[in-house]
Amino acid sequence: MSTGFNAIRLADGDTVAHALTPLEAGTVAGMDGPDGPVSVVIREPIPIYHKFATVDLDAGTQVLKGGEVIGRTTAAVRAGCHVHTHNLASDRALSADEGGA
Amino acid sequence: MSADATFRGYRRGDGSVGTRNHLLVLSTTGLTGAAARRIGAILPGARVIAPPYGSGVVGDDGALRDRLMLAFARHPNVGAVLLLSGKPPEAEAYRDALAASGKPVELLVLDDHGQDSLRLTDVGVRAGARLLRTLSAQERTPASLADLRVAVECGRSDPSSGLAANPLVGRLCDRVVEAGGAAIAGETLEWFGAEHLLERRAADAAVGSAIREAVARRTRHAARSGIDLIGNNPGPTNIAGGLSTLEEKSLGAILKTGSSPIRGVLAHGAAPHGKGLWLMDQPFYAPESVSGLVASGANVLLFTTGPGNSYTSLLAPTVKLSANVETCGRLTEQIDFDASAILSGRATLAEMTALLTDCVLRTASGMLTFGEILSEGEEVLSRLGPSL
Repeated sequence: MSTGFNAIRLADGDTVAHALTPLEAGTVAGMDGPDGPVSVVIREPIPIYHKFATVDLDAGTQVLKGGEVIGRTTAAVRAGCHVHTHNLASDRALSADEGGA
Repeated sequence: MSADATFRGYRRGDGSVGTRNHLLVLSTTGLTGAAARRIGAILPGARVIAPPYGSGVVGDDGALRDRLMLAFARHPNVGAVLLLSGKPPEAEAYRDALAASGKPVELLVLDDHGQDSLRLTDVGVRAGARLLRTLSAQERTPASLADLRVAVECGRSDPSSGLAANPLVGRLCDRVVEAGGAAIAGETLEWFGAEHLLERRAADAAVGSAIREAVARRTRHAARSGIDLIGNNPGPTNIAGGLSTLEEKSLGAILKTGSSPIRGVLAHGAAPHGKGLWLMDQPFYAPESVSGLVASGANVLLFTTGPGNSYTSLLAPTVKLSANVETCGRLTEQIDFDASAILSGRATLAEMTALLTDCVLRTASGMLTFGEILSEGEEVLSRLGPSL
């Protein structure tokens, strides 16, 4: 990883990235991408190491990190917005509620 | 990478290598606990284990207690044992079980000293002092990565754990395993949500089943106890740090096991049957988890944290790591290895793996961890059921 990035995304298909420093609204979050650096405009304060969406997400969408599903959105989330317990729930919990494993 | 991936350790009769040469003061009864602690307070090199359980711990519970107590006594980092007991038949059985270890084991029985805890303290300090002098004359000899049995643990995780600290520890495990050593990871409930990734690395189908069943047994136990696993995990500290779901936490946690095939799933406190990477089915809470891993013969422990966690093993030097830049700047007498350069981009994972390997080897050779310097460590028993 090169220096100077203020965010990190684990895999190219991921829909969230982590802030590597506290990010203020209006900041441009930069991270590595397969075809060069990727930028996302931050829309609200993101505490250090917390997640933000890298694309707009509808409610009920599975969220990918490191190529794995880490949960499902419980509300629509815009790119650059904080993704956390207020809008992301365990996919296993939701699957169980729906009668899954 | 260190050109010379060796350390200097204490070679034991069973072929294991100790990274320390402790005098263990082991009290097997409640009656002798106070004397054990007094002896430990007077003798600077002593490590005291004095659990408050003995008679009335029966069946599988009793067998587990015996396994853990003997494992602490036989541990490669223990050079000699001062065994204190108020229950002669059991104490003699322990002493006899330890005879094959080749290390000095002295048994002091309260009944031989008129039930006088102060007299026992006096005799124990003198016996311990003689043992410590003998231990201090023993010398370290060359050993290699293959002689390391590394246990890995995480406590108070945040996203930096899964992003950097755990992957780094995983690389270290890979190095140790490649060199012919062993690595062990436990905390069964931390596999929940990531079992599929572990199962893919199982050495065979039986190991895959064992992983699945270990998680299922714990989740059933939680359900029967009315615990909502998903609702309670991640906990408040994890959430404040940025972890949102159980899957996210577990996916980050299992990265500390590296990429080696998983040879088997051990019972809590059991020793692996050889080298390679092993999982241990055990509680997730650090005191029980750490002692179970150490009982397997782990001679060094790598413990990652996000915001900080001061808990360590008593017998195995515990290297505390964090990749959280704020934590590393704040906990300057807790964090033994600062991994935050991975996230700032100042170092690659490969470069940091070399540095961590070097740190682990120096720790194995005698460099103290903060946990040892500050006496943070403990070993504890685990219980399976009610006492009589």
